Amino acid sequence: MRLSDVLSRIYVLALFLFVFLPILTSVVFSFNSDRFPTVPLGHFTTHWYETAFSRPEVWTAFGNSLIVAVCAAALSTVLGFVTAYTDYRYGFRFKSAYLALALLPPTIPLVIMGLAMLAWLGRLGLSGTLPGIVIAHTVMGAPFAMAICRMRLQQMDPSLEAAAWNLGASPWRAMSAVVIPFTVPALISAFCLTAAVSFDEFIVAWFVSGLNKTVPVMILEILQGNVDPQINAIGTVVFLTSMTLVILAQLLILRRSAA
Amino acid sequence: MKTRISLYPYVWRLPLLIWQGLFFVGPLVLMVAMSFWLVKNYRMEPDFILKNWDKMLSRGYFWDAYWITLWRASLAAVLASLIAFPASYTLAFRVSETTRRWAIFFLIVPFFTSYLVRAYAWQVLLAESGPINAILGFVGLGPLTMLNTGIGAMVGYMTLVLPLVVILQTFSLAAIDRNLIEAAWNLGARPRATLFRVIIPSARVGLIIGAVFAFILSYGDFVSPFYLGGSKPPTMSILIIDTTKSGQQWPRAAVVAIMMIVTLFTVAFAAVGAAYGRRK
Amino acid sequence: MTKQETLVTFQGVRKQYDDFVAVKTLDLEIGRGEFVAIMGPSGCGKTTTLRMLAGLESPTEGTITIGGKVMNDVPAHERDTPLVWQSLALFPFLNVQENVEFGLKMRGVPDFERQPRALMWLERMGLKGFEKRRIDQLSGGQRQRVALARSLVTEPEMLLLDEPLSALDAHLVIRMQGVLTKLQKELGITFVYVTHSQSEAFAMADRVVIMGQGEVAQIGAPRDIFRAPRNRFVAEFVGRNNIFTGLGREGRDIVVAADRISVTRDKPEGPAIKAEFLSEEFVGTAILCYFETPEGEELKAQVTEEQLEALGAEPGMAFWLGWAPEAAHEMEG
Repeated sequence: MRLSDVLSRIYVLALFLFVFLPILTSVVFSFNSDRFPTVPLGHFTTHWYETAFSRPEVWTAFGNSLIVAVCAAALSTVLGFVTAYTDYRYGFRFKSAYLALALLPPTIPLVIMGLAMLAWLGRLGLSGTLPGIVIAHTVMGAPFAMAICRMRLQQMDPSLEAAAWNLGASPWRAMSAVVIPFTVPALISAFCLTAAVSFDEFIVAWFVSGLNKTVPVMILEILQGNVDPQINAIGTVVFLTSMTLVILAQLLILRRSAA
Repeated sequence: MKTRISLYPYVWRLPLLIWQGLFFVGPLVLMVAMSFWLVKNYRMEPDFILKNWDKMLSRGYFWDAYWITLWRASLAAVLASLIAFPASYTLAFRVSETTRRWAIFFLIVPFFTSYLVRAYAWQVLLAESGPINAILGFVGLGPLTMLNTGIGAMVGYMTLVLPLVVILQTFSLAAIDRNLIEAAWNLGARPRATLFRVIIPSARVGLIIGAVFAFILSYGDFVSPFYLGGSKPPTMSILIIDTTKSGQQWPRAAVVAIMMIVTLFTVAFAAVGAAYGRRK
Repeated sequence: MTKQETLVTFQGVRKQYDDFVAVKTLDLEIGRGEFVAIMGPSGCGKTTTLRMLAGLESPTEGTITIGGKVMNDVPAHERDTPLVWQSLALFPFLNVQENVEFGLKMRGVPDFERQPRALMWLERMGLKGFEKRRIDQLSGGQRQRVALARSLVTEPEMLLLDEPLSALDAHLVIRMQGVLTKLQKELGITFVYVTHSQSEAFAMADRVVIMGQGEVAQIGAPRDIFRAPRNRFVAEFVGRNNIFTGLGREGRDIVVAADRISVTRDKPEGPAIKAEFLSEEFVGTAILCYFETPEGEELKAQVTEEQLEALGAEPGMAFWLGWAPEAAHEMEG
């Protein structure tokens, strides 16, 4: 291997280290005994986990996050799938406007989405409720779900659905017997990814949540007050949850596209 | 089938229109309308007044925030593109297909993990008494004040955008036809000339899209400037939060939000236009 | 061939998408138990014709009847016109047996009845023991046979095939041609076979329909089309023949098949033309020789190995290409 090859690989590793350093730090300090994070480290402890998870509001927040993530992911996946299927199957007038409408939400800064949602959900009487957060997270998650489903449909032989009609399946039956079974891996990974998005989202949730806090909103509020290594403990659990979801989603995508 | 009108296509087409109409277009339109509303006794009343616009756009602190946000996001886009490029180049040309796939895999993971906790970890790392200054002290440097400065904010932006920029750059570089590069060598181009005359122009669209995403994400971000940059001066996002959370001045926050969206789309369209436009 | 009962009719059928006309006018009858090949270059409307028959497209104008019933507005899933797709379109998430059972399942055939029928067809197609395999574990030829079994399991009156052999290796194509011809004879059902390959069409079909630019150019038995192409388009598409401009009566063009051309050093009696030898190409049992006239037109003659050796042809040598007057066919235009 030439020197330049070695150097360029070291550069890539350094970049990965930078990206993963905060994640590793959080995990390491969550097991560190010192109240104020300094070097050298103190000794190993699970104290911060015990303190954090002995608080009932932490459990409530996890419960809220879980409910919101599952509902938002389910809605996003359904919405993403029907939109991806429309894009795959049909051409119609104003289709590019339709697709723009579908894919635009991630380009709007979250703070702005938060403000707009706060005002709108307030008018609908949903401000400060879990359904309100679910709605906001679905708007944000659906474009991801749509992209994942669309990529999967791209791999589907366009004759496959027609073959089902040809063998006596009505359009509805072909959908349930062919299109959905074909898309299942994408549906699962879309569900996992949008759940991860929802599980980590705090800005919009912070604007609209009111008293029904999700975990990231709680972290945000702890950060604004007295910083405490409990954050590392809660954060590590959040990391593990969303990383599990994301890795699961990606493994499904990779395995299926390799087959 | 033109002769029978089928329900089937509409079942798939309508949900998005209804949902986005109700919960995406609706809120944004309301926000625009709200910027013309009147606030009286901490309550909003529908109206059509220009007072909120006038109040915001005539304030020095608004324009300070406007320019600092634009400047920092632009700097973040350029920095991220420059830092990412050597890594993307390596991943695209110097490693195996399998390594590249795993690298991309690992770059996607942080994108979906708590940005807030990562920012907090940087707070710990960059602190005056934190590990990084400890290492610097060990080699006889520092301590450096990084937290609550522009540097801190930039570290946060990089954490947020680098993975995405590397992914987009790698894809666009890996998609270049290898024959094109070999043809350049074959015609006697040196590595530097090949890079600037062949590789970068061929991957231009992807490189610009990467920079645009870095810009969009940094421009709207509030965590890095707030928790790592010390929020002085405030960015547009911080301004929106402060205006919304204190004193019910939603219409003024809406003015800031609209200015942000307009700026964001102008920059993004100009950049994407430049990416595709000159490639005739 | 005895006059068959008609199964399918196309009457003045036209298919137009926005400003693109896929099929201009189509009048065609297909008999029960007939093997018809629809052939033509890409974009000639042959696949659209097949898709209209399967109900995947509806005609813009005209009528299509199957078994005397007007089918224009009958949706695909209410027809019994199984299609073997160019891509095969096997369901990748189902195993071999589930693929074959699909059509029966969609028609509500109960499980206990589906299974023996599917197994019978798999055995018939030589796929016994492969029932539980996944589609991506099969070879190209095996997939082909699964696709056939899947289409035939409902015992239709007619099978549609859309370039089904185009993805196969050359040696498999010949074998599958044999399988298909035999199957069609045994089942006695109608096969409508779309292809761009004249060798496939001529090898299998009772009747060949040649289409060009959305219209039927000629319909006939393979032999008739080869010996007596109606016009220049058909002659050029069929190939392995020579078109002589203006040599017929009233200045019409004539066509002479390459195997009816004799190659001599001296000018023969009867019609002949002088041309320079260019190259030779082995085509199985014979050799196809290419010549060029002083006007730059390419001519082809099919000779045996012995004949070629006797001629001692080298590129650049001049020969006389002659034909018996009765071997020439006069074309319409």
